[in-house]
Order: sequence, then C-alpha cells, then structure tokens
Amino acid sequence: MKNANKGQIRIIEAFFAVIIIFSAFAVSANLSVSNHTISHENLASIGLNSLVELDRDGYFCKYITTGNFTALREALSLVLPTGVCFNLTIYDTQMQQVNTEIITNSGFGSQDIATVEYVSAGQDSPFLCYIVHMQLWVVT
Amino acid sequence: MPAVSVDTFFACTLMVIVVLSAMAGASKIILPYVNNAVGLNAPERYEQLSKYVLLSAGAPSDWGQNGQADPQVFGLGKADSGNPYELDVDKVTRLNDENQYSVSYADAFASFGLPDVSFSLEIKPVFEVITNLTAIFDADNITVYQFEILTEKDGAPVSAEIKCRIIAESYLNTADTIPSDGKVYQNITIPDSVNGPALLVAFARHAYDDRIVSYGSYAFAHNSTETETRGTYLKLSPLNYLLNASIVHPETNLSEAYAVTFDYSASLEQVSRSNDSAVYQIPRFLDPSPVVIVLTGRNSTVFFAEWVAYPQVPTRFGADFTNSASLSSIYAFTYMVKVGSVIYRCTVRLGGPRE
Repeated sequence: MKNANKGQIRIIEAFFAVIIIFSAFAVSANLSVSNHTISHENLASIGLNSLVELDRDGYFCKYITTGNFTALREALSLVLPTGVCFNLTIYDTQMQQVNTEIITNSGFGSQDIATVEYVSAGQDSPFLCYIVHMQLWVVT
Repeated sequence: MPAVSVDTFFACTLMVIVVLSAMAGASKIILPYVNNAVGLNAPERYEQLSKYVLLSAGAPSDWGQNGQADPQVFGLGKADSGNPYELDVDKVTRLNDENQYSVSYADAFASFGLPDVSFSLEIKPVFEVITNLTAIFDADNITVYQFEILTEKDGAPVSAEIKCRIIAESYLNTADTIPSDGKVYQNITIPDSVNGPALLVAFARHAYDDRIVSYGSYAFAHNSTETETRGTYLKLSPLNYLLNASIVHPETNLSEAYAVTFDYSASLEQVSRSNDSAVYQIPRFLDPSPVVIVLTGRNSTVFFAEWVAYPQVPTRFGADFTNSASLSSIYAFTYMVKVGSVIYRCTVRLGGPRE
C-alpha cells in the first residue's frame, strides 16, 4: 500500500513538473524585449528634421544673421525631444566659424554621438548661406 | 514532506530557470543574426513608412477637405506644398474622432495598403499650457479670477508670451499679453452683469519662435451653475474652413460664435441653419496660431459655451499598442511638422508581427 502511494505521488509530481515547464515555455515565448533607446540613425534623423523645421520660412538663417544664438539654442532645445542634447557649430561659405558663443544645451558628452550637416540658405538679399554642423547625443 | 519530493521540486525549479535563461539568451543574442532580411531591415522600413505618411498627400490629394470621402491612399501631407513635413489642416482634423467627419482607423489601415503594419499617430503642440483657477476675489460689480498658467514641455518650464481671452454670454474680452518663464499668474476681471459660465482660452507663444504656439482652456462658473463637460449641447466639427455645429439637445438656441487666435479674434458668420445643425464660416487668420472656435447659446434657460480647435489638435489616431508589446515589434518616430502656420510634434508608431 505504501509503495503504491509512493508511485502515485511520483506521477503527480511529474505531472506538476510538466505543467510548470510548459507554462514556462508558453510565458517566455511571449516575453517582449523592450528597447526604448534612440538609435544613432534615428538621432541624426531627429536632428535633421528639427533643423529643417526651424529653417522653414527663413527663420534659422535669420537667427544666424542677427547673431541671436540664444534664440537658436532655445528653439532647438524646445523642438528636440527631451533628453537629447546638441552642440551646434555654424560656418560661412569660407568655412569660417560664425557663432561667437557655444550653442549647446548641455556640457556633458556621450559615447554615442550623431552628426548632422545641414546647409541653411537665407531668403533675403544679399544671399547668405551657412553650413551647420550639429552633434547630438542622448543624456544617459 | 519527503526528501524525494523536495529533490524533485528543486530539480524542476532549476530546470525552469535554465530553460528560461536559455530562451532569453537565445532571443537576445542569436535571433537577431538568424532573422531574415526583412527582419534586419525592419527599423529602416518602418522609418521610411513613417516618413511616407507625413510626406505623401495620399489619394485623392484633397481627401481632407471632403468630409464624405475616404482616402484611397493614406497620406497626411499638404497637396502641392513645396515644403517637407507640412501637413494638411483638414487631414489632421479628420484624424480626431470628436469630429463628425473623422476617418476610421479601419479605412485608414485599408488605404495604407500594408496588411502587416499597424500604425498610430499622435499630434500635439510642442509644449503644454496648463491653466488652474487659484483664487476668486469679489469686488463692487466685478469678480476677479486669478489663474495660474503653466507652460512646460515634459515638466520643464518653457519661456513664452501669454495672451488670455475670456468668453461669456455676449462677452469677449482679451487680457494684456504677459511674459512667462514657465509659470505666471493672470487676473481676469469679469463684470457681474455678464452671465456665465465663462471660458478662458490661454494662448502661449514661444519667446523666441512665434511659430511654436500652444493653448489651454478652462471653463468656470460665473453668475451661473457649474460648467458642463464639452459636447453636452453641441458637437462641433470644423472642416475646410467651415464649422458644422450639430445640436445635441433639442431646445438649444445658438447665439454668438467667435474664432480667437493669439493675435486676432472675430465673430463667425452663420452660413446655414437647420433644426439640428448650423454651419459657420471660419476666417483664415494670418498669424501663426491655432484657431479656437467658441460657440455660445442657451439650452432652455442655461447658457453654454462649447469650443473646438482648428486644426483639431491634440489628437491621437490609430492602433492602440499599449497591450501589444509582447506580440508586436513597435517602432516610434518623432517629427516636427507644420500644420497651418504652427509647428507641432508628431509621433508615428508602427508595429508588425514579431519576427
């Protein structure tokens, strides 16, 4: 009688073990791998889109021509997603640096930096053209 | 419990842990390398699709203006626009399900033409305007309402210029423009002779770029009972510079209609009227600002003010990915877009079956 009970308990244990293992398979098959990071390419795309949008209607060039780099920094800080930092350097067609102050919203660097090169053309006479180099990174 | 059972239990536990670790490791390390080409290019594919939605005008290219037409090819871009990421005011407006001309996600999904890709769109102002009523002061023949107005982006303060407009029965008033570093208090004075409820519309224009504009609203009691929720008396649907007001309650009489922006305000002209609806012409304002349209009237003896923004933003449209993270690969792309003359933030989310 005792031996017979032992056998039944083993079967029940094995049954539970099978249920647990198959449950583990079923659950783990649906485990999602969430990746909320901004990729390098996406960062460059975000930066370029922000520059294009700010340059619409000649605003970007107007900021540079008038030397209003504070406005440029504030506008860029607002349109870029929270947590994205940038550093902007502006050159004229002779590749002479135009910005007299550092245009950035953060002093901290990162290992993963995306670079965007953009050409901004003015809409007023005389015709002015600037080459903008922007580095972007995500605050870690 | 016999020792054999304890052994079996620990053995099973160990086995489960090993199996789970192996599966997690395999999915993280090995699977990306054994996926097919589509799987490897999925992020790029979804990014291009998100751009396509915003850059293409769709077909017919004027599907936004015609409230009865559904798009055959889905795209939100403004037709004949020379600028990228410039969206059509009416196409964006038709994404809002509060609008009676809104397109359904089923129609949009079908016209998108990719049965393996679900999508959602979220368009909202670049920063938020939050209005709170903080104090009320009674004086002779007037009541002063003190509002706290916050301008912020993801909780961070945003410098802006604030302009408040107050609407009540036969009453439209504008407060002086005030600068704000993210938080400011504004006193609003309303004569006691004016009947409420009153509606405060606070516009905020970014201090450095006048195309970045947002707004907030606050309905409050003034010489009246408490305010009703939006849509109680009228359903407002702007489209193609016409406002369709569907009357919800039968005993509703319409009175003044206003359109307000940051710089301008105007009374709306009624184009047509029937028993259950009225149509108004929306003026084309020059200043970069969302247009807030306020329609006032009376239901029996109760005064009301219903409002809607044109374009009807913020809006969220499409698939709900909240609970489908385990079944889908979801990619989100954020763009700055121009709708009308105002810059908005648009997030496109695309998802497909997990490879």
